Amino acid sequence: MNLQSPSSLLLLAPLAGAIILLYLLKMKRRDVAVPATFLWPARTEEVRANSLFQKLHLSWLLALQLAALSLLVLAFARPQSLQTGLIGETTVLVIDSSASMQATDVKPSRFAEAKRIALEAIRSAQPTDRVALIEAGPSPRVIFPLSSDPLKQETALESVQPTDAEVDVGPALRLAGALVGSIEGARIVLISDGDFEPVSDFSPGQAAVVYKPIGESGDNLAISALGVAETLSGRQLYCGVKSHSSKPFNGTLTLYGDGKLLDSRTFQIAPHGSFGADIPASSQTKVFEAKLDCPDYLKSDNYAACVTDSGASLRVLLISRGDLFLERALTLDPRVTLDRANTLPSDIGDRYDIVIFDGVAERPVKSRGVLTLGVAGPPSPVTIRGNSKSPKFLDSEDVKALHGVDLKNLFMDSVQIAVPTARGRVIANSTAGPLIVQSDSPSQRQLYVGFAPLESDFPLQVAFPIFISNALDYLAGATGTSLFSVKAGVPFGVIGTSTATLTSPAGTRTLIPSNGGSLVVRDAKTVGVYKLDVDGKQKTVYATLNSERASKIAPVDKVLLGKSTVAAIKRQDRFADFWRPLVVLCLLILAAEWWLYARRS
Amino acid sequence: MNFVLDPKEFRLLDGLRMNPRKSFSGRVRGERLTRKKGVSIEFADYREYSEGDDLRHLDWNVLARLDVPVMRTYQDEEDLAVHLLLDVSPSMSFGEPTKSELARKCALGLGYVALMGGDTVYPRTLSRVTPRTLPLRGRASFPKLAAWSQASSDTSDSFSKSLRAFANSSARTGVVALISDGLDPEATTAIRILAGRGHEILFLQVLSSVDLDPDLEGDLRLVDAEGGAPVEVTANGSVIREYRKRLAAHNAALVDAILRVGGRHHLITSSWELSSVVNDVWKRGGWIR
Repeated sequence: MNLQSPSSLLLLAPLAGAIILLYLLKMKRRDVAVPATFLWPARTEEVRANSLFQKLHLSWLLALQLAALSLLVLAFARPQSLQTGLIGETTVLVIDSSASMQATDVKPSRFAEAKRIALEAIRSAQPTDRVALIEAGPSPRVIFPLSSDPLKQETALESVQPTDAEVDVGPALRLAGALVGSIEGARIVLISDGDFEPVSDFSPGQAAVVYKPIGESGDNLAISALGVAETLSGRQLYCGVKSHSSKPFNGTLTLYGDGKLLDSRTFQIAPHGSFGADIPASSQTKVFEAKLDCPDYLKSDNYAACVTDSGASLRVLLISRGDLFLERALTLDPRVTLDRANTLPSDIGDRYDIVIFDGVAERPVKSRGVLTLGVAGPPSPVTIRGNSKSPKFLDSEDVKALHGVDLKNLFMDSVQIAVPTARGRVIANSTAGPLIVQSDSPSQRQLYVGFAPLESDFPLQVAFPIFISNALDYLAGATGTSLFSVKAGVPFGVIGTSTATLTSPAGTRTLIPSNGGSLVVRDAKTVGVYKLDVDGKQKTVYATLNSERASKIAPVDKVLLGKSTVAAIKRQDRFADFWRPLVVLCLLILAAEWWLYARRS
Repeated sequence: MNFVLDPKEFRLLDGLRMNPRKSFSGRVRGERLTRKKGVSIEFADYREYSEGDDLRHLDWNVLARLDVPVMRTYQDEEDLAVHLLLDVSPSMSFGEPTKSELARKCALGLGYVALMGGDTVYPRTLSRVTPRTLPLRGRASFPKLAAWSQASSDTSDSFSKSLRAFANSSARTGVVALISDGLDPEATTAIRILAGRGHEILFLQVLSSVDLDPDLEGDLRLVDAEGGAPVEVTANGSVIREYRKRLAAHNAALVDAILRVGGRHHLITSSWELSSVVNDVWKRGGWIR
């Protein structure tokens, strides 16, 4: 037994002394005359005292009161006993639902084992224990809040499904910390294989962190690369397979182009070795897929897809001093691979399809498109004549870049007074003059906006993500792609004004509501091909794992969580408070004492 | 307080006589027949004449017819000593009505019966200082008896001590009508001693609801009304039950002691009427006839 507050025991002596002192007080009795006293038994039960001292007599009431006091003081000392189980008085279970948890080295899978452990923990909880469950998935989710209802908890636990996503457990742990960090003696139990990036910026507060490891083996092969490269001998499809296992593997790699079989190769791969294959690829093929067949433990990284459709992938460089709204709008687009910089790097060449100057003067670049926000430069399709304060939006043309974009109620703090060059075409005007100007030359498309988003309320308006998506379409020169390649579990956005339907590889349909002209798809959590029906248009989404970190499925014994390293627990021991039974026992004794008192008085 | 009997009660008592089981020798001629042969008008038997006999009792008719001198003998008539022992101790003042009220009435009633029957009544109170009372005889003494019955309560000795004192006195042997609550731990011993002096004991035990069903609760210091040691009790169900048990045992011991010495005992409560006592106790129990 362990006492959390042993100093409380010091209260016992003075309190017991006070009770005994009360018993030393002599009872002042009322005189009553009776015909004869010899018939009366001299039986006294001294339950009240109101006079000065007498000799201390043995009394059951005194014994019971001292027993109740002892129990109460002991309860104040917060005794704990060592018990088996994950659950404490207040516990948050964090279940890792990342791709590696789908490994089958533990039957039927690590994730199923994690759910079993969580279920066992919930069932072993005392009626007074409070338990919460958080799913550490692509986005953390509270499955059930702190509660003491095992039946609801079990039902909620059943709803947790594994994903093929690479997961950062940090947000889930921070959520757990926010939930119980202020509760003394609380526990955060992480049920995981430990295959995640070290978690920084995490503090459990007063809660203890327990890491319950899942997994036995790291034997896994993964498709580490799939892409198309233009070579001297023509367009080539390359595919790489990497072993994360300590033993050799035999496998078969099959490559598909637009769903048709291109090649199939059997290979043997050494421990921690790799295997590569490249074949000529047709320039007409838009989607390449690779499937790996081998007896490893994780299947979700045995599939990869590569979309080569123009516009299906956009490499975007954002030169900005920081605009989270703009970054979010860009990253929501599944086509975008975003890089950020404060100033224009000197040697970017033609590595980027689109360069965005946000509040930074435009400079010449070789990209297909340039978006300038707020500060025009020499290459811009406008000449600047000054600045205007708080102009009003006047009108706009019905062009692709402004399709579905309503600027009527736009507030702009400061706008450049611009005069379009000969190649510039004004598509929107304000009271200060041209507001948005586009330029379309054979080598480059340019879009100039006369104000930086952060100097307006544009980022807060529904039109903002639509405008960014339209701008990307215009600058990329694409008419809008219907093929996407995304990482499983990573939310992405598409433009749509009505509710969309997402059909999973298993055929499950999910309705995705439109919010402000865009849809955020969060349900592509497993690897495979999804169908997305948006505004009557069919889009195909290829979700892949494509994460070397997630493919390393060897269970980890120690994980770095915040500033401390947490080792996997060997035994499910815990210190459990048992002050409540003591208090209940104390109340029972007091009830017995009361009964005795009532019976005697 | 006036304890004089009302006319109805006088009528109830008229014509009744004390009915002792034993026969006692009288001191003066009375209306009660004795075993001694005497000179009353009640014929008893014949016996042979012997020299010196009173010729006034010679049966001349028999002598004339049979020529045999035969003496007529007569049943003697003497008075009966009735000792009225009335407990006037403070314990008798408990109850509503008090035990003392009924006890005095009963003593007066019993004394009236004795006076009307020609017996000699010796009224005494069981008190520390027993006033010397003259024996009362005849109907004319009733006012004195009534005055005695209204004597004020006195701080008495214990019941047993008073009885012992009476037993050790030179009181005439007779009927002892003891009217008391009997709440004394030595009561049985005193009764045995009293009976050992040849008295016939009629014990009318008067208890009140305070004695039979005490309404006490809480932490108390019980003070004995007659100067006994105080007792500290926590009056609760258990203590009350124990008290009742002890009272029943005490009364049973009293009854046993009295029955063993040929006496009579009856327990009444202070709420009884005298008429009930006369009819249900004295008449039915054969105390009077």
